[in-house]
Amino acid sequence: MQPQPVALLMSNVETIPGKTIVNSLGLVSGSTVRAKHLGKDIFAGLKNLVGGELKAYTELLNESRNEALQRMMMEAHQRGANGIVNVRFATSSVAAGASELFVYGTAVVVE
Amino acid sequence: MNDVTIAVLVYIVLPVVSGVAVPMTSWMLGRWYQNGLFKALEVAEAAEGKGFGDAQLVSYQKKQETIAAEYTTLLMANIVVGPSWGQMFLMWMKSLFGGALPSYAGVLDYGRREAIQRLKVQARERGCTSIVNMRVETSVIATAKGNDSKSSSVEFLAYGTGYR
Repeated sequence: MQPQPVALLMSNVETIPGKTIVNSLGLVSGSTVRAKHLGKDIFAGLKNLVGGELKAYTELLNESRNEALQRMMMEAHQRGANGIVNVRFATSSVAAGASELFVYGTAVVVE
Repeated sequence: MNDVTIAVLVYIVLPVVSGVAVPMTSWMLGRWYQNGLFKALEVAEAAEGKGFGDAQLVSYQKKQETIAAEYTTLLMANIVVGPSWGQMFLMWMKSLFGGALPSYAGVLDYGRREAIQRLKVQARERGCTSIVNMRVETSVIATAKGNDSKSSSVEFLAYGTGYR
């Protein structure tokens, strides 16, 4: 069963502008590990002939990061939050050709 | 005599020529291509002007008890950039002596500015008037040395809170 996408209010400052925090529900996080596509890697290698942007990777990482965000939002949603404050992103290379995208924040109830 | 000529061609001239010609070609092509990218970025930055200039793009976190806002959203924009083979070759040469690497610094500078530029564009598309607490994060995706990867690339992620 595919979980329904949820949309929460998010910000990376201590509050959500225009809202008041009434309850804090603790830390929530989401992560995903993505490996590179071999074919895309070869194309990216060819793109290194001239350098500049490697679009395939930009899109890959963007998708993966959205997935991590979605997981974090699911966790916050299950706790009954309607917002996440202080959202931070962290990226690390865990192995050659694989990256972990991690996102964390504080789940809150705002009104 | 003929065999010797062929052997010299295959084992000495060819490796030397390809070893120098490929990075040189790549360097020249890369220089031309990246200059194009830089010009496009400068035009875009000029067009953005003071759209989110100075006061509205704040990279520090103030104590903001109440920001009056009717809409707020998390903004993020990323870009993956890599140097050209020619630049990698020059970097390798430079690494024998150490020192500054201006051509690589240019690649990173481009990536960072482009990421910030994309963040501004995204903010404008969503109707935000200000961006606060903007962060830029850097991560190494691949290095050309030491593993089976064919490419070298660095990712820049710019994120912040936009509101209106």
